[in-house]
Amino acid sequence: MEYIREGRIRVDRSRFSGLATYHDPCNYGRKAHMRFGHGFFEEPRWILSQCVERWVDLYPDRLNQTCCGGGGGTLTTGYNDERVFYGRRKMEQIKATGAQMIVVPCHSCHGQLENIKQHYGMADLEVKYLWELVADALVIG
Amino acid sequence: MTTPIDVATLRSNDRPRWPFSQDVCMTCGMCACTCPVSGVDGFDPRKVVRLAAMGLEQELVESRWPWICTMCGKCEQACPMEVRIADVVRRIRSLRDRAQVPGILHKGLQAALETGNNLRLPKDDFLFILEDVAGEIREEPGFEGLQVQVDKKGARVLTTIHNKLVNTHTEDLKHWWKIFHAAGESWTVSSENWEGTSWGYFTGDDDAMKAMAGRILSQMEALEIDTLLWPE
Repeated sequence: MEYIREGRIRVDRSRFSGLATYHDPCNYGRKAHMRFGHGFFEEPRWILSQCVERWVDLYPDRLNQTCCGGGGGTLTTGYNDERVFYGRRKMEQIKATGAQMIVVPCHSCHGQLENIKQHYGMADLEVKYLWELVADALVIG
Repeated sequence: MTTPIDVATLRSNDRPRWPFSQDVCMTCGMCACTCPVSGVDGFDPRKVVRLAAMGLEQELVESRWPWICTMCGKCEQACPMEVRIADVVRRIRSLRDRAQVPGILHKGLQAALETGNNLRLPKDDFLFILEDVAGEIREEPGFEGLQVQVDKKGARVLTTIHNKLVNTHTEDLKHWWKIFHAAGESWTVSSENWEGTSWGYFTGDDDAMKAMAGRILSQMEALEIDTLLWPE
């Protein structure tokens, strides 16, 4: 945020022409709010607004968002059927927006969404780290 | 979990004094309704809270339930009594014999504690991968001057590395490095103990979490750095 606000980097929001949506990771959002008194809901959305023309929120979102199913180490426990099933609601919510790209700022969520999208018939969905989106939008020189 | 509970076995007076308010549960079921995996394997958060409140945590420790739950906290947010359900689950995870922790969670953590990263990746290999990826970025227009300076004293930002980024996902190392380069940031990576994940968070191992976080702090002190990027 600091880099964009202070003009240390410039980003071009016209490069991605489709519709994007944003997933609130449990740890940066709801759990940060409950444990530390501040959930990081608006900061990533501000960055997203700088990097794409069109995006919509998932429903439900922010404090009420549904976990993607990749948290708590579930990508590594071997209980994969349960994990894939867990992700069904998140995938339905993404599908309902009609977005071509889901932006996430979390390694676990990214791994889970990338891993299960095929299973839910959404192989074309682009799963993007928030910082990857910024890097893609960088204007150099 | 299907056998009737023998009241005589309940240990309501000597159950662990956990600070998670599990005893004030009203059994309303809000948590069970909101959980995306309620019903899987018979799991739901209300059952977890009730078993813990009745001192039957050993049944929970032996079950798969705490490992199917992602500790996302949605149940907790719905709970009218503010029971810290995710913390109850994490505490139950911590009571599992370490050799019985499912999958690679404890093995990865042990590797990190012993070698500084979950993969047991030797330092030379790690440094080779960083330089290799930096070389790839330098081939892109506008990034010709990109440098990865390891252990740079007095840098402004220290960044940790998720082990998958020096394993199967090296492409994803590039994004932050490009942003740093474009911003003219002074940044660095540590050559030792660079692991960004802290799987003690998942296994309920507080001592391991302290050790992992402590290492990052010591690096910051040794390199005189006041800003940390810890995206994991």
